[in-house]
Amino acid sequence: MTTTTRQGAQETVAASAWNLTKTYGQGDAQVHALRGIDFDLPRGRFTAIMGPSGSGKSTLMHCLAGLDQPSGGTVTVAGTDLGSLDDDALTIFRREHIGFVFQSFNLLPMLTAGENIVLPLELGGRRIDDAARERARMLADTLGVADRLGHRPAELSGGQQQRVAIARALITEPDLLFADEPTGNLDSTTSAEVLDHLRRSARELGQTVVMVTHERDAATYADYVVTMQDGRIA
Amino acid sequence: MRTVFLASLRTHIRRYVAAAIAVAVAVAFVVVVGVLTSGARSGLMDGLGAPYRDADYVVSAAGWPSSELDPKAAIAFAERHGENAAATGRATLPARANGRRLPSETTVGPIATSAEWRWQELSSGRFPARTGEAVADVYFALAEHIAVGDRVRIGEGAAARDVRVVGLVESPSPPAQAAMYVTWPQLLQWRDHLHLSAVAVRGEVGQLPEGAKAQSPEGFAAERLTYVQNRVDSLSVMLLLFAGIALFVAVLVIANTFSILFAQRLRDFALLRCIGATRRQVVRSVRREAAVVGVLASLTGTLVGVGLGYGLIALINTLTPTALMGAAELPTPWLLGGFAVGLVVTMVASWLPARRVVRVSPLAALRPDAAVDVHTATGLVRLALAAILLVTGPALLGVAMVQGSTALMVAGGGSVFAGVLLFGPVLVPHLVWITGALLGPAGRLATKNAVRNPRRTATTTASLLVGVTLTTAVLTGMATWRSALDEQIGRDHPIDVALTSPERPVTTDLLDRVRHTPGVERAIPVDGAVARVAGLDKPIPVVTAPAAEHVARDGGAFARVEPGKIGIDSEAFGKDLSLRPGDRVTVRVGDRRAQLQVAVGTGWGPVGVVAPETLATLTDAPEPHAIWIRASSGADPARLGGDLDKLADPVGATIENGLRTWESLDQQLEIYTWSALGLLGIAVVIALIGIANTLGLSVLERAREHAMLRALGLTRRQLRRMLATEAVLLSVVATLLGTVIGVGFAWVGYETLVTRALSDATMRVPWLSLGVVVLIAALAGLLAAVLPARRAARVTPAAGLSLD
Repeated sequence: MTTTTRQGAQETVAASAWNLTKTYGQGDAQVHALRGIDFDLPRGRFTAIMGPSGSGKSTLMHCLAGLDQPSGGTVTVAGTDLGSLDDDALTIFRREHIGFVFQSFNLLPMLTAGENIVLPLELGGRRIDDAARERARMLADTLGVADRLGHRPAELSGGQQQRVAIARALITEPDLLFADEPTGNLDSTTSAEVLDHLRRSARELGQTVVMVTHERDAATYADYVVTMQDGRIA
Repeated sequence: MRTVFLASLRTHIRRYVAAAIAVAVAVAFVVVVGVLTSGARSGLMDGLGAPYRDADYVVSAAGWPSSELDPKAAIAFAERHGENAAATGRATLPARANGRRLPSETTVGPIATSAEWRWQELSSGRFPARTGEAVADVYFALAEHIAVGDRVRIGEGAAARDVRVVGLVESPSPPAQAAMYVTWPQLLQWRDHLHLSAVAVRGEVGQLPEGAKAQSPEGFAAERLTYVQNRVDSLSVMLLLFAGIALFVAVLVIANTFSILFAQRLRDFALLRCIGATRRQVVRSVRREAAVVGVLASLTGTLVGVGLGYGLIALINTLTPTALMGAAELPTPWLLGGFAVGLVVTMVASWLPARRVVRVSPLAALRPDAAVDVHTATGLVRLALAAILLVTGPALLGVAMVQGSTALMVAGGGSVFAGVLLFGPVLVPHLVWITGALLGPAGRLATKNAVRNPRRTATTTASLLVGVTLTTAVLTGMATWRSALDEQIGRDHPIDVALTSPERPVTTDLLDRVRHTPGVERAIPVDGAVARVAGLDKPIPVVTAPAAEHVARDGGAFARVEPGKIGIDSEAFGKDLSLRPGDRVTVRVGDRRAQLQVAVGTGWGPVGVVAPETLATLTDAPEPHAIWIRASSGADPARLGGDLDKLADPVGATIENGLRTWESLDQQLEIYTWSALGLLGIAVVIALIGIANTLGLSVLERAREHAMLRALGLTRRQLRRMLATEAVLLSVVATLLGTVIGVGFAWVGYETLVTRALSDATMRVPWLSLGVVVLIAALAGLLAAVLPARRAARVTPAAGLSLD
């Protein structure tokens, strides 16, 4: 990390995978989810990982996000080799560098929308001060859910829930934002809104966004599209 | 439906484990009570008849147990039959061993010299063969440190005899039991003290003593057995009461388990309905599942109970040589009963949750995001019922306190408690909120998790609430009773040990040695003069003790005698005291005299207590004639009495030991308290299994949430801590609520029962013990969280997210 070339590379690459493999099970039941992936993620862009179900796109995302340990190869995010981190270090790394938006079961049902947004800060043991609250309000404002902050997830529509989830993912200013099928449970109008928000966070806030989806329409919002097939990048 | 039933049993049986343990523990409790009862009964049967096994007839009082054999006639009857009779009975006499007075009066019974009449079992040494030899009961020997070869002086004054202990025996028959046994001729030397309970006769009975009857040995043993057995039976009923409490807690735990499991599987049930299962089929499958759990749990409980029961009998027989536990026959009715209770309890507990299952509509399976609806509404009916109970309960308790009615107290207590349980889904979450708020933001997630499902939270805490309420009520009740009795005994025995020297004054040297005796906290000399009191055979010291408050348990009240009166200890003078309260007696010291009015009390020894002014009219030079001693707390009464007796005896002084009364009271209360707590402990353990169970099932339910939190950056340790906090919140809230209710019940019980029995008792709250209860509950909550938390933390975020 002392050489200028690496620093230069970091300016354009947010994360990279080298010879990444992942196998589940043993013997006859062995499944190769990833079969050697080499892959650089451009910084400040919206990248979509596409592919039919079973192509390994979710596994790739899990490995890139440090949610799962690969069977072989290395993953580097923001200059850190994820393989060198133990579970606690990895958890803290996620907390500080990575944001998530999931398909469903996204928000904690017993917390209000506002509480859900600041949850990652709270998990990091940070005090929820006025600055944090101001930032949460700003994000909610941008995402159009500012008037719903006091409501529980059950009282929000699907699109609103997903926008609250995006706000929560952005509150820590992560190096990487992962979205796993973010529009899977939404109708087309709401899907368009959510995808637009993701695109705007890349364009306007310079946020690196990675979205896993099997919907071609959703992928059209992305700057780059990576297509996967049978555990390989096609 | 059969395949579905078997498959769901295979899949879900592990989730029933905790609930099954709860049922098994309760069933085992019932079965252990049964085995112990039958063991005690057969032990009694074996031992009781032992002294009479070779007799043709047993002669005993016709009106037993309300009348006894006339001692003189019975002795004459036994004498008349000579070798063909053996008497059972005892003489109660003071005794000294190894130069030490034995703390309580010693019972002495007969032992036959011929082997066929002898029923005691030798455990060391040999049997006595002649006058001057004795055997001691092993248990008595153990307690009084008597060994083979020791000399024991039995009796007082002219009746005192020295005997040598030649052996130790076990004596299995409680009615014939004594501390020491001597030969019949030796025993007759104390014939004035001897009371015979029965005489076993071989051959013809002949003329019976008046008021006696002759029975066959079997008839006699049966008669005595029924009497003792009633006590065994009432003990069993007491134990079953505790078993009932444990069962009630088990019902709460298992009902909760079923409702959680069924709620989690609601989609499965809806799906079954969708594809054509009728309501009846679904319900039958669910009920069959409960039946399997009930059968397995009850069977396990029965087996464990039998094992534990026989183990306990063996243990008791090894630990206490005097115990009367026989080899119990397998108490079949108890086993069947325990098994049936376990099965019924499980079925009853599954009834309501299973009814809720049928109400699920087939559509529920088709809803896209039919996550389990965790919020259960609290029914209006339930709330109304709770309100009624919470109004009538306290009213009943109020009436009970005014009228001193136990029945109303029980009814009121029951309805208050039922009201609290019904009101739980509203009350408990609020209490959790308040308690959780004290933890600050760190505990916020745990607090919110704990109150997510109010009814589940309420049932979980209710199981612990039962045990804690009863525990704290027992603790507070015992503390109050204890302090009331302390006051009473303080009045009856104000001085722990009184050393009285009736002839010579006590020397400062003696006072010094008393003060240096281990176990003496404080000792004061008591000044007086030897006086002749009309109506007493011997001169006694008449003393005044303005400093009595430094040693007396009643604050010295007994010693503050008004001028013109004299306080006499009625116990120290025994039955022969002819003075009555209010009598006017003449008291003479030398040639001075005073006319004094008698006041009677107990607990300061054979001296007359007067006011300083009164003593001044009787003597100009008072000298110390007594030493009054306050023992340090925890002093061994027997040892202290023995040590002081050694100092007192050579100078002609006597010892009055009031501390003994304290000790036996202490022991009794301690036994009561600990037995009650131990038995309630089983209910508490079941409740904790319940908390672990609820938490474990909730963890399964929240697997995706936990995975998401882990993805967002919650470390394993934080996750474990969050779950532990949730468990601790539940147990602490249950404990605090239980403590408040328990102390409240104790207060009601005190107002209703204790103030009537002991008029000036004061309510005593044992803060320290209650604090310990709360602390233990918190720790137990932590313990309950260990397994579920570990399991939750093991799941990797990716695995959790892909769960369906």
